[in-house]
Amino acid sequence: MKTKSNKNKIQIFLLLLPGLAVFCFFTVYPIIKLFLMSFSKWDFTSMRQQEFIGLQNYREVLADKFFWTSFTNTIVYTLVTVPLQMILGLFVAILVNGIKKFQVTFRVLNYLPVITSWVIASLIFRYVFNTEGLLNYFLSQVLHVTASNIRWLDSRWSGLTVAMILGIWKGIGWNMVIFLAALQQVPIDLYEAAAIDGCNGIQKFFKITLPGIKGTILFVWVMLTIGGFNVFTSIKMITGGNPAHQTDTILTWMYYKAFSTGKFGYSAAVSFIMAFTLGIMAIFQFKAMRNRDRELEEIG
Amino acid sequence: MNKKKKFLAIMLAVVLLSLSAIAAGAMSPENQTEEITIDFWHHYSAQSAENETLVNVLIPKFESENPGIKVNAVSHEWAELHNKILISAGTGSLPDVARCDIAWLPEFQKMGVLVPLDQEMPDFADVSGKLLESAMSTAKIQDHYYGLGLNTNTKILFYNEKMLKDAGVAVPTTMDELISAIKALSGTNADGQQVWGWDEPGLYGWNLCPFIWSFGGSLTNEDQTVATGYINSPASVKAIDTFVSLYKEGALTGFNSGDIPMTDGFGTNRYAMMLEGPWKIAELQGAYPDLAYGTAPMPAGEGGSVSVLGGEDIAMFNTAKKEAAWKFMQFMTSDFAQIEMAKCGQIPVNKSALEDATVKNAAFAPFLEAIKTAKARPTVAAWSEMDNELNVAVTAIINGEKTTQQALDDLAGVWDQLLTQ
Repeated sequence: MKTKSNKNKIQIFLLLLPGLAVFCFFTVYPIIKLFLMSFSKWDFTSMRQQEFIGLQNYREVLADKFFWTSFTNTIVYTLVTVPLQMILGLFVAILVNGIKKFQVTFRVLNYLPVITSWVIASLIFRYVFNTEGLLNYFLSQVLHVTASNIRWLDSRWSGLTVAMILGIWKGIGWNMVIFLAALQQVPIDLYEAAAIDGCNGIQKFFKITLPGIKGTILFVWVMLTIGGFNVFTSIKMITGGNPAHQTDTILTWMYYKAFSTGKFGYSAAVSFIMAFTLGIMAIFQFKAMRNRDRELEEIG
Repeated sequence: MNKKKKFLAIMLAVVLLSLSAIAAGAMSPENQTEEITIDFWHHYSAQSAENETLVNVLIPKFESENPGIKVNAVSHEWAELHNKILISAGTGSLPDVARCDIAWLPEFQKMGVLVPLDQEMPDFADVSGKLLESAMSTAKIQDHYYGLGLNTNTKILFYNEKMLKDAGVAVPTTMDELISAIKALSGTNADGQQVWGWDEPGLYGWNLCPFIWSFGGSLTNEDQTVATGYINSPASVKAIDTFVSLYKEGALTGFNSGDIPMTDGFGTNRYAMMLEGPWKIAELQGAYPDLAYGTAPMPAGEGGSVSVLGGEDIAMFNTAKKEAAWKFMQFMTSDFAQIEMAKCGQIPVNKSALEDATVKNAAFAPFLEAIKTAKARPTVAAWSEMDNELNVAVTAIINGEKTTQQALDDLAGVWDQLLTQ
């Protein structure tokens, strides 16, 4: 018996080996290497030999005002886009869930932005929000609200807002699909029982739907937060971090430092600071969700 | 359906077989002739006439003159080539020779991957003597030469003939004339659209240096070790001040993300003037063939008519097969190769090529004069960071966060520190 299970283990191991090897080679190894890089002097002057410099890269990052600008931008981006995507996604999911005809059509229509390429969508947004773009044309020539063109892309918050609108627009469809699946898991008899008890729609939503899809909300929340921190393409394509890095996010700043100024050690440190922040946030999110669980149980 | 599938399967098999045959062929030893292959990385774009000349004219000629040496030329995007060399330096997989933007050489030199040609090549003086001194100065870092000038360029004034004529403005030859022309050419056109007298697509050294220098200002001292007293000197401050106030008056734009792109704005009569390089001629020819425009030297200020020098050097990496690489570098800077490249718009740096009739009559002829007075940006390793700080400082002035004097004083402090690194 024992030999057989050992044989099994070997077999299992052999079958896992290719996947494990790829994972180790392309995920684990780069992470370790990057971690070491963040403690080394790794730039133009030291491409061949890297000196261990301890926490100096981290100190440099934390003292850099551009890093903090990009950090704040990323936090704001996440704080704005995550809740809005979730609320709008859930709203659309409930609407689509409620209709009998054309459900598939609406699902597809709402999902289309998700499968649109980030680059193409960003370029189109840029075109719309250009100083001489479609939006300004509409505002000044059609609606006559403004006399002169508004410089949407040329200041920090308005430039970021354009990227945020793009992020939300592109995210709604994904949220809808996930929430739609969750909504269909909520037992119908609960709604029927609530209807007998005389609940109205709003009560049903807050007492049945929301608790019923809580797990999904947490999942989406964590995923979107990570996604928000990863915002890169839209910023790079729409403002390119301009003016003077005021619209940079953590990733575009990291990319700039690594590939335009050759400070790989610095960028590695940025990436670990970002990973650390995300880790803390995930713990916080799980805790918050669990507390809410307990409260609900106590109320119930 | 079935037939289709069968056909696909057969096609796949054929492709796989032929691929393996190619692979087998590539792997079979070729020891009959001792052949050396040198890798040459460049950023002539893959579809360009330059690349065509390189692959179909220059390399075959070089290979027939130097039997036993093969050249493997690889085309990259401009920015990608820079990054690729950076990364390859770390992994030790550099090419033998590369065509590098003159701004990159100090960085690469500091990484310790370039060959000091004047030390290692006994006939260096003969070879470099045939090339323009201004071009060779871009390859000189501290006391040694790390490359050969390959081609050069600078920016001169492009103006929209119709807009100048309509506004009754003469082509400016001095800085004062330029400033009043920029103001006179701005406003709204017949369609009620805003027009600008000047387009400047960025706030970097490439954009601002011609103004600073022509106003008599400077970036650093001669030795490129100190910036205080140079970038914040009265002349430099006046140059930036003039630039910013033109922007604030709505007479100049181009560096904002939302602005009309340079070629389109100039081609559609929205930007009246700009300072641009020889590549713009072909670009305008392609995109706006009917546009009537003229070119003129950079208007002269107190510092004279000083434009900014651009261009490329050809450099050898220290992992190269040096003898063959050096031969190829000499070939690329020879008058034959330089004249061939001049036919596609690359301005030669070889002195005898510059005397050739093809070169003298080329579309870039107006640039040849400007190159004589043009200056290079600081050839220091920290330049890309300094350039970024310049952009940040001028943006702060434009946003009204700092006065020009304040911003440039701060910038000088930051630059001083970068220059000592």
